[in-house]
Parts: sequence; structure tokens; C-alpha cells
Amino acid sequence: MSEEAGAGGRSRIEGGVDAIVVGGGPDGLVAAAYLARSGRRTVIFESTGELGLPVRKREMGARRFAGASDGEHLIHALDPHVIDDLDLYRHGVSYASRRLETTYIFKTGERLTLRGDLREPMHDLEDTADALGRFATGMFAAAAQLRPLTSGAAGGAQEIANALSGDVSEFPGGAGAALIQSAEDVFDRYFAEGPLRDALTAEAAFRSALPPHEQSSFSQLLARWAGEVSGLQGAVGYPEGGAVAIVEALRRSAQRTGVDIRASTEVTEILIEKDAAAGVVLSDGGQVRAPIVVSALDAHTTYMSLIGPEALDVAFQRDIAMRRAPIATVQLHVVLADAPDDEDARGELSRRLVYAPPPDDVRRAFSATRRGEIPNDLIIEAIAVDAFEEEWPEGKMQLSVLAHPLPLDADANEQRREETRAAIVASLEKMLPGAGERIEDDALVTPHDLAGRGGGALHAFSAREGLLRQLSLAAVTRSACNIGGLYFCGPEAQLGYGLNGAAGRAAARAALKKAKRSGAAP
Amino acid sequence: MIFPVDDLLADRPKPTPLYAAAASVSEANIWTSINGFAAARVFDNVETEYRAAKDGAVIADFGPLSRYAVRGESAAALLTRVATAPAFTLSPGESARGLMLDDAGGVLDLAEISRLTDDLFLMTTPSPQPRALQLAARGLNVQVENISRAVAAIGVLGAGANEALAAAGLKIPGDHVAASAVLRGVETAARPVQFGALPGAELIFPADDALTVWERLMRRASVRPIGLDAMEVLRIESGAPRPGSDFVTRPPRSGARRMLPVEIGLPHLAPLDSGWFNGRRSLRYQSAAPEHFLVALAIDGDRVLPGAAVYCGGKPAGRITSCAWSPAVRRAIGFASITAASIGKRGEIAVSDHLGDLRGARLLDTAESRLAAAFSEAQS
Repeated sequence: MSEEAGAGGRSRIEGGVDAIVVGGGPDGLVAAAYLARSGRRTVIFESTGELGLPVRKREMGARRFAGASDGEHLIHALDPHVIDDLDLYRHGVSYASRRLETTYIFKTGERLTLRGDLREPMHDLEDTADALGRFATGMFAAAAQLRPLTSGAAGGAQEIANALSGDVSEFPGGAGAALIQSAEDVFDRYFAEGPLRDALTAEAAFRSALPPHEQSSFSQLLARWAGEVSGLQGAVGYPEGGAVAIVEALRRSAQRTGVDIRASTEVTEILIEKDAAAGVVLSDGGQVRAPIVVSALDAHTTYMSLIGPEALDVAFQRDIAMRRAPIATVQLHVVLADAPDDEDARGELSRRLVYAPPPDDVRRAFSATRRGEIPNDLIIEAIAVDAFEEEWPEGKMQLSVLAHPLPLDADANEQRREETRAAIVASLEKMLPGAGERIEDDALVTPHDLAGRGGGALHAFSAREGLLRQLSLAAVTRSACNIGGLYFCGPEAQLGYGLNGAAGRAAARAALKKAKRSGAAP
Repeated sequence: MIFPVDDLLADRPKPTPLYAAAASVSEANIWTSINGFAAARVFDNVETEYRAAKDGAVIADFGPLSRYAVRGESAAALLTRVATAPAFTLSPGESARGLMLDDAGGVLDLAEISRLTDDLFLMTTPSPQPRALQLAARGLNVQVENISRAVAAIGVLGAGANEALAAAGLKIPGDHVAASAVLRGVETAARPVQFGALPGAELIFPADDALTVWERLMRRASVRPIGLDAMEVLRIESGAPRPGSDFVTRPPRSGARRMLPVEIGLPHLAPLDSGWFNGRRSLRYQSAAPEHFLVALAIDGDRVLPGAAVYCGGKPAGRITSCAWSPAVRRAIGFASITAASIGKRGEIAVSDHLGDLRGARLLDTAESRLAAAFSEAQS
């Protein structure tokens, strides 16, 4: 390392670094680990004191509820290459359940439980079992076509076209056709009205910016089913210790590979020299120079703040400023009194619980959210985090609840937070009657909270548009405005939602490929 | 500044502030439309106007061109983004010409930039570019005002342009330095321009006073008006390509791209080793290999038509994109877009004339081609 020590950071220039990763979120950790694995001296800068944001451990009250995490609570699309390459199983990743069943609870109080693999025969569905089998087989085949895209392996126009053009016998037109259709149009082919269709409608709308009747709204579900948990396509898994355990494993893997992690160190500028990234400037004025810079921050922060519009191509700037729907998912941690203590209840709570409002109510919820209002009926996904522990706790239990759709709320205030909390509790009450009265403690986690903790710009937490639009934004942001040596793996580079890691892997691989071509040895 | 191609299908072109004055001295009364504005093609006789420019001074109505006042702390940053002219390095009063490029390094348009004060610039483009400026201004502390309709502009061009201006009461201190003066009570700014290889200046003043300044020049400076047809001859002789006819400026169809600076023969206006500009990184890292080159030709004949076939070594190589008869070269001259594969191949160049006969042709040595060659040599 060459370092010119000065009186302050302003005069300090640090060299001898091969790669810099800006942002210590999950994708930043993945990118850093890949770069360090190749023998490159890699430094990761995180402005806060925590790694893995926006995912972080949530502790409530005096009792420790294992596995509660802010940001995400389930895993459905963690890139299998990341798991293998970074040896995450050895670094602590294991699943308490790798194929959760889902119980859908409807407004009428009816319940419907679907298996973790929708393709498995469900004889109790009687007349709709065949339709579900055909639907799931076709859709899983179409979703499998998307894997090169969701894994970040395909970025070029031709690769994207290839991924979308293959035919699927069970679904004419394959993934390409399914991507542009509305969820309602797809369901019309297979299902009559009824609980099964209502459940799938809620699934398609959950965490999406598009209501189920709008074009491309089916693509979100397809992207989710392109993912896998431990080799099980379309499954939803619960990691032991919760989603935060994945982040911990990523951190351990990065440290094991020799990544130099510098928390509480803010990057204020990405240096561009001769059309290529040359390093970063830190908040104390010091410089760290490296030929590879990977940004895991959101696109606005990376390009508009750390580089600045005056160094960006005009159309690139227009494209990264694409308007995104002001719709978000909000999390509520709830501690309930009087936890059931029988085995049956525990079995029931070991599932993913989804409150599926009637499709008309889902439509109305999206309309209200788009007007900036808080809807009456929300789609709820709840996990009883204690149900996956060895010991079933006595007395109390904690639910991690994700509610959708809610306004992104650029101007959130206490009253608005209280209204949001009340709406979530009201929908929770419809799902679990009496739950509202049993709440002993709760904590709301809004996009504002996640952004405020250094998780990124607020709009980075807005719900995802259709997959084609996500593809377009990902391609633009990954192009890094043709700045040599700069790679991007922020939230806009990821397709779909949830902990994934593919964007970090893709960015690191692109950097290594380029370095190899130019003969830059580690 | 070069005029863009005529919009031949325009219905009822609008008058520029100088239309009445120009119409009153037009003997030929042949008009066309440029950017929706009436522009005289010929006032008297093309060769007479051409000779006047070569030997003395002429004036032209530059009203159809687009002008933008750019002011603010980030004015230079904005102009650096949208044009290759080095706005940051200009001192107040200085002007520079450049290209407007898209993100892929394709040429959108030509541009001329003048720095009037530390934070006030004037940008002139052949075609209206408000959208490009609006997009580029996002995130910058800058105000862009389209002043195209608020001002009138006269080009004073020719070997005797400086003398003519001095006679009218306006002295230009240098080849690249702007000046201002009060002509018959009208606040007038003058910035040096080069129309092709001819020296000259562009006078800019409030639209309401257009006729006053025109009259002053006509009476005091002994100039005569020049139309587009004569300017077209001067343009091709100088090797300056015309947006819309020699290269396409509108958005390319899917899968296609705009022409690169090197393809239109102006690589010296987009140097990769000076200040940053939009599309530079694409030119450096990702630019496709040139497919066509725009070259100026002198053709052994009196008349060829745009679109005429060009052959190299007997094989089809491209098309004529614009042409005129040059009194100086005493034959037809024109621009041709020819395939990159044809460049450097041995064999005679031939062009199909208006009767379909093949005419021999040779590359025309122009001011722009000399600049491009010197630039390429310096780069290598």
C-alpha cells in the first residue's frame, strides 16, 4: 500500500487497492467476496456502522425473538451460484424450512393451504386440482426460461431475446408471452372464480407495483418462480435465524476471502479519470484509488450524487430517472400475547400465512395507494418467527408481517405512520381474528425507516414494475454510462424482489472478465 | 453556421424578422423553408452572389437557425454535456464550434457556442434542440432560454466581411472574439463565424430592430444579400456537411445508429483527449467500426443529382448526398456517402450524372478535410 500521510484525510491518497465496493448491503458483500476470491485486494466502504442493510436484526422488548429481521423475512430467490461459490452453507446458511406451505386466509374466514411445490398433486382441491397442475407446470417451465435474466447471467439484447423467445408446450409463447400479460388474463385460462384464483391473484399483486388486471402484472409472479431454494424451483424458504442469517453468512464469507471492510466510512465521490473509474473520495477528503469500483448503492445515489450529472450521458440520466410507482411494502413486527401451545397450532403457524382479499378489494387497494391514500384491505404475508425455533416459546409469539400495497410516502409523519400501522393491524385482524387485541408490542418498518438507516434512497424501496421494465432499468444502470472500470449492483440491477445476490455476482464477474481481457493481474 | 436541409413539405413557412427586408431586394423571388421559416434560395443570380462572397462581403438572414441563451453557475457544464465544443475553456467573447452527439457518439447536430460573460453563453444550432437541452439541464444549476424568436440574426460573410462591418460601425477584435456595438441605436452583438472557409461574423440583435440593422449594412457596408443556393456552393467547397442531407439527424430506426464524427469527416470536432462531452465514452470504448464515410468529390461534369450512384473501381460504393456546380473548381462538386470498404481501394471513382452517364471524380481537398487529416495525424 502506498499512502501519503498528511495532517488530515484531505491529503491522504491510498493506493495498492485493486477493487473498491461502495455500499455494504447484501449485493455489495457478494461483489466484494467474488472480487477478493480472485486474489484482488478489495475494500468495501459502508457509510453506516452496519453491514447488510436494509436487512438487519430486529429485537423487541426484553425477550429475544430469534430470526426476526427488518427488510426481508423469507428467501425465495437467493442465487444458487452465490451460495456455492461463496460457500454460504459453510458460513452458516441453513434452512429451517426450505419449502414452506402457504395458508391463504380469505375475508370470509375460509382457508386454503397450498403445497410448497404447486406442481405436486393436491387431491383435496378436487375439481381445480387438474387446472392447478397444468397451470403450475406451464408457469414453472416459463419461469425457468427467465433464469438467465434473474440470475444476472444474461444482459445483452440477444441473450434477453433468447431467454424470452423459447416456446413452452404448456404455455404458448413461453416466458415472452407470459411477461406481457396481466395476471387476470393468465388466470382466466385456467381457473374459474373461487378461492384458488383469489389466492393466486393476491400472490401476483403482492409486492408488485401493478394491480392484477394491468398488463405485465403476471411477470412479478413469474420472476419469483424463476428463483429457487436449495434446488427447489418456486419454493419459499425460511433460513434458520431468519433472513439476517443470510447477511451474516455473506459477511463471514467476505471476511474469509480477505475483504477489507470499512464500516462508518462514507464515500462522497467516485473519481472519474480519462472516462474510467479511478477510485473514490471519502468524506474526510482522502482518496482511495483502484481500477475497479463497484457500486451497490441505488442508481440515483451512485450516478447523480457520487458522479454527478455533468459527467453522465444525457439519455442515460433520463433513463435512470424513470418514474417509479409510489407504492411500497411495509413491515410490521408484532408481539402477540397468548401464543397457542398445542402442536396443531404450531403446525399451522409454521407456514407462510397470507391474507388474500377479494380481487375487487385488491384493485381498490391499488387505486387508493396510487392516490396516496392508505387502503382498507391489504395483502398480508405473515411469518411466526418462533414457530421455526427448536423450542416453542411460552406465552408470547412474534409475527413478522409484510403488508402491500401501501403508499411510498415521501412525506411520512407520525400521524401517517399511525394510520399505516392501523391499516395493517386491521387486515391482520381479518386474517387472525382477535390478533389486534393481543398485540403487546409492535414496530413499524417503513421504506422511510430503511432509507433513513442508510439502506439507500427512498424510491429504491418502491414496488417493482413489470419485469420487462425492470430489465430495461437493470440494463441501463448496469451499463454504468460506459464509464470504464465502474460496475453497478444496486437495487435497480436486481430483477424481482428479495435477497438475491445475483446482481453483486454479475457486477463482480463483469469486472473480472474485463480485467482478464485487459491483462490486469491481481 | 450551416443551415439544415430544407423542409420541402412545409406548408406556409413563417417569416423571419428580416423577411420583409430580404423580400424587398429579391429579384429572383425563389424561396424555400428552413425549420419552418422562409429563406431565400436566390436573390439575384447564384454565381453573382458566390463571387460577391469570394471577392467582397455578403449578408444572409440567419433567422431560421436556433439560438439558446444559457446562463447560470453550471452553464459551461451543460454545454459541455450537449456539445463537443470546449465551453469550459472559452474566455468571455470567444466562440467555438462542435457537434451534438447522442449517448452512442452519433452526430445529432452541429453547434456553435459563444461565451458572452463568465456565466452566460449563446448556443446556435442548425435545427431546434430544446428537448436535448432540457434533458441535459436536469440536475444542473442552469437556465436555458430559447431566444430564437426574440432575436434576429444576420451573417456577414466573405473576404471583405471585416471591412464591411467596420464600415457599418462594428469592429471585430479577432477571429474568435465576439464584440458588441450600437448600430443606429440598436444594441448589436457580433460573434465571429466561419461559413465554410469564408471569414465572417454573425450579428444578433432584437427582432424588433431587424430592418434597421439590415438597412444600415446595405447602405454603409456595400454588401449584397446571398441566398441558400450560393451558400450551398461555398459550403461544399469548404467540406462542411449539411445536417439532414449529408447525415441524418433524426432518431435512427430500431437497430440503426446515427453517423459518427469520423464518418461525417469531422473527427477533429470531437477529440477524445480534451474535455468530456456526451457520448465520448461510447466513442472511446464501444463505438462500432465506421460503416460509411462522407467525402467531398469534384466530378468531371456539370450536373449530378443528389442520390446519384458512386462507383469505386467499377463497383457500387455509395450515393451523392448533396451537390452543386462550383465556379471555382469549374465542375460539379458534392458530398458522397461511400462504404468504408471502398475507402483506400485502388481504382477510379465515378459518379452517374443526371443523364445516367458515368463521370470521373476525385476527392476534393477542402478546409475541413485538411483539418481532419491534421487531426488524425496528430492522434496517431
